[in-house]
Amino acid sequence: MTMIEKKLQVWEQQGLINGDQYEAILAFEQGDKQNNNWWLYSLLMLGSAIIGLGIISLIAANWVQIPDSIKLGVDFSCLLALAGVIFWYQHQTKHLISDTLIVAFILLCLASIGLIAQIYHINGRWYHAILLWSMITLPIVLFARHLFVHFLWVSLFINAAVWSSVDLAAGQLRTAMRELPAVLLLAPLLSASLYLLARRIALLHKTSSSFFFWFQISALIALVAIDLIRSGDDTQIFEWRWYLPAWITAALLIGLILSRRSYRPLNKGLLIAAIILLILYYHPDILFTGETRYTFSALDASARTSIWQADDIRAPILTIFILFLYTIHAGNSGYHRTFNLLTFLIGLRFVALYFQAMGGLAATGVGLILSGLMIIGIAWFWYSSRDRLQHWSKELTL
Amino acid sequence: MKNPQLRLVAALLFPIVVLATNTWMYQQQRSAGETFKFPIEGFDPRDLLSGHYLFYKVDYGVPSANACPTSDIAAALCLRPEKRVYPADERPANCEIYVQGECDANSVFTAGLNRFYIPQGYASQLEAKIADKKGEIEVSIDKRGNAAILDLLIDGKSWKETLQDE
Repeated sequence: MTMIEKKLQVWEQQGLINGDQYEAILAFEQGDKQNNNWWLYSLLMLGSAIIGLGIISLIAANWVQIPDSIKLGVDFSCLLALAGVIFWYQHQTKHLISDTLIVAFILLCLASIGLIAQIYHINGRWYHAILLWSMITLPIVLFARHLFVHFLWVSLFINAAVWSSVDLAAGQLRTAMRELPAVLLLAPLLSASLYLLARRIALLHKTSSSFFFWFQISALIALVAIDLIRSGDDTQIFEWRWYLPAWITAALLIGLILSRRSYRPLNKGLLIAAIILLILYYHPDILFTGETRYTFSALDASARTSIWQADDIRAPILTIFILFLYTIHAGNSGYHRTFNLLTFLIGLRFVALYFQAMGGLAATGVGLILSGLMIIGIAWFWYSSRDRLQHWSKELTL
Repeated sequence: MKNPQLRLVAALLFPIVVLATNTWMYQQQRSAGETFKFPIEGFDPRDLLSGHYLFYKVDYGVPSANACPTSDIAAALCLRPEKRVYPADERPANCEIYVQGECDANSVFTAGLNRFYIPQGYASQLEAKIADKKGEIEVSIDKRGNAAILDLLIDGKSWKETLQDE
């Protein structure tokens, strides 16, 4: 007996539902389960991905023995054959097989780009190859019905677009580590812009949830990374050209937010404030002094500047403020899970801020007891007040 | 395009057509250009290979007085009548054949010809020969300064022939 059947029996015994409702709910849930074979989808997608990789390996392993014309001929024949099979399957009702074939086709397109680059010894960058792949495969990806296909395409496209943009602005990327902060800043701004664009354009609607996923992940990474850079007194090489794509994208994003009808003035204000603060966060001079009270090294654990001048105090305050702005927006918009996660992260950052502000004191016995009490206190405060906070944020209007 | 079947056909053929056009363009570039040979050497013998790619430094034979005027600029290496690197927008009209590229941060001319794909199995043999300065690349250069690698030569012979002879 499944969990749902047990629950339905209890509800029927308690008089909450009658026999007909019991049968109807059970039939609905079992029907839903048949359509929800995610493990099967995953295995089929994984299988098609491995086939794609196998084709790449097969071509690569026999590279010397096969003449270039044969390699290219077989590759293009496979593409045409697969295209024909996809066309035939689109008339069938087997959407899962059709989407699996689309995944195989787009992976074969990627393998073909690699093959052409190898044969002609093209000295390109990986993100340029993936950007080309994204552009040529977008039309067929829009025919897919399952989220996985869109997610695969969006994941590769957003990476390629971000790195290519920074490469274009920087002239040419030399050591990726130098330009990494510019990449980290651009990623959430571009993902959010594309999410809002995808919501507007019906044709791209299927990709919107994937863009939103990458917006949330990349925004969190961007915030954690810059917090670590500022708090850790890391030297950041700042060249305005690298950040130009992020600033242009931020302007586009602000425009999209302002023109979005479903956002209330409060939401627009919160989101724009968070974007501007994130942009300022990545600039080393406007809000920061370059001085920290403590470093990550225990050997250098002495306060070196005043608490108000220290970047390792300003940075977490800015992180918490940006998180708070987005939390209010999430609470106000009814995104419960995002709201809960963000309030938890704010609490976590408060604890880290306490250790940063107190420094050596936290290493003493009394300091550790106080720290433990503070963690418990924050956990209790978060648990008891998050509902009130969300209720309050929902009532906020401008 | 209102017919969904036509849209599907277009969506399926679009990547194939783009890739085929791309291949044709590279092939044209190879066959239409003039052939040149440049010696190559590994810039770090410990790390000549990265995956299946052989990385090397191309010696364009430019006298040091005619090398890159400055760093980080788009540049053109004129091969005839005089070997000289110019900023891309200052290439003289009498330059008969040239390679488009850039002067990197170390004021060294590069044209994206410093990578050659080889199978991993032959990596160590080729690595040793290039470290001995026996390597050259054969390049096709067209009238617009586009360069395409044709072959990797070891002691004047194609690398495949060299490995077959051994």
